[in-house]
Amino acid sequence: MVKVQNLVKEYPAFRLDNVSFSLESGKITGFIGRNGAGKTTTIKSMLNLVHPDSGEIYYFGKPLKGNESEIKGRIGYSTGTVNWYPRKKIRDIVATEKLFYKNWDEEAYRKYLSLFKLDESKTPLELSEGMKVKCNLLLALSHKAELLILDEPTSGLDPFSRDELLDVFTSLKNQGVSVFFSTHIISDIEKCADDIIYISEGRIAAAMPKNEFMSSFSNEGESLEETFLRLERGVRNG
Amino acid sequence: MVNLLKKEIKLSSSVLSFLFIAFGLMFFIPGYPVLCGAFFVTLGIFQSFQYAREANDIVFSALLPIAKTDVVKGKFLFSCFIELCSFAVMAAATAVRMTLLADAKPYVNNAMMNANLFALGCALVIFGLFNLIFLNGFFKTAYKFGKPFVTHIIVTFVFIFICEALHHIPPLKAVNSFGSENIGLQLILLAAGALCSIILTAVAYKSACKRFEKTDL
Repeated sequence: MVKVQNLVKEYPAFRLDNVSFSLESGKITGFIGRNGAGKTTTIKSMLNLVHPDSGEIYYFGKPLKGNESEIKGRIGYSTGTVNWYPRKKIRDIVATEKLFYKNWDEEAYRKYLSLFKLDESKTPLELSEGMKVKCNLLLALSHKAELLILDEPTSGLDPFSRDELLDVFTSLKNQGVSVFFSTHIISDIEKCADDIIYISEGRIAAAMPKNEFMSSFSNEGESLEETFLRLERGVRNG
Repeated sequence: MVNLLKKEIKLSSSVLSFLFIAFGLMFFIPGYPVLCGAFFVTLGIFQSFQYAREANDIVFSALLPIAKTDVVKGKFLFSCFIELCSFAVMAAATAVRMTLLADAKPYVNNAMMNANLFALGCALVIFGLFNLIFLNGFFKTAYKFGKPFVTHIIVTFVFIFICEALHHIPPLKAVNSFGSENIGLQLILLAAGALCSIILTAVAYKSACKRFEKTDL
């Protein structure tokens, strides 16, 4: 469904180093790494917000370059919280946004609006950080996307909302939607991910099914969280 | 294309961009450099860019299911839309001044540049310069607009000064024709201004697309 090949992006103090992985359809993939590991840069490159120095990105067998509008219409994405048009009503933002989606799903929009308990007549400025995340997710979920790319969707959510959201992911997966989400909250991965992509210092350290990851990297009796902490400590200590 | 313009108008624009269209009426003011009206229209468009930057509009637009270059197209469409609206106001004011008010004393004794078809052509060149200097300059970073706007101010006022000075050079007196005098020449100068504006805008758009494709958001 998605193939990222040899993605390179060089910043003065950071390098995204030959990042390659693929995402399979109908699966939930957790993209994990500590702050500054390169998760957001990778996701932004996948959405063409960041211009990579080199590398290729394919969606549904087509390169992103040259097929951007078609591909973006088939995927849903959320890059953290809603931080645009702080004084416009959500209703007005949505009314304009849906003009661009041929497959806008009003029924799904209403369903998630009610599930997330969002008030359309509020402005982003009036929303809490958690509600802003939900507002962004609402937009990503309302146009029959075949794939969701979400950058830290659970950050800022309370434990109940996080749990609800992870259930939404599972229910979407059952409907055939693939989910790719970055997080540094390991319990989110533990709860619902099928596959894990682990990025450390700009390099993909592992990309495999969760069970395989645990059998390859976890010591006996060790939880996923403990495994990641041990691996990261190893990286830091050289 | 229509949706891009709708989005710009509904979400990304400042009301001042629309109010400043009325500066096109400065073409009625005698004894005043009428081309300043065109500059004030571009100042109105600048207000929308300020608002859009505060509202994080560029990232929102880039995340829509459109190509990244369509974000540039949206901004150019909006700017050209405002420019054309104000051009219509200027053209109407010029038409009234050239016909119904052709004998009005303040216009007959006007010491400054007359509002005629040449002036309209010059206004179009100012819009083209704005698109080339400001819009193209903005998309270098999609964030910084101070330097492009200050450059636009300097270039535009030098251009206005030159336009105002032209008719004081005896062989070029005809550019300041009043009413329907030298209408053939006036029409040619208007067409030349329009062509110049189109070329400047096309060059600006192509360059801005190239720049924005490489910009990290």
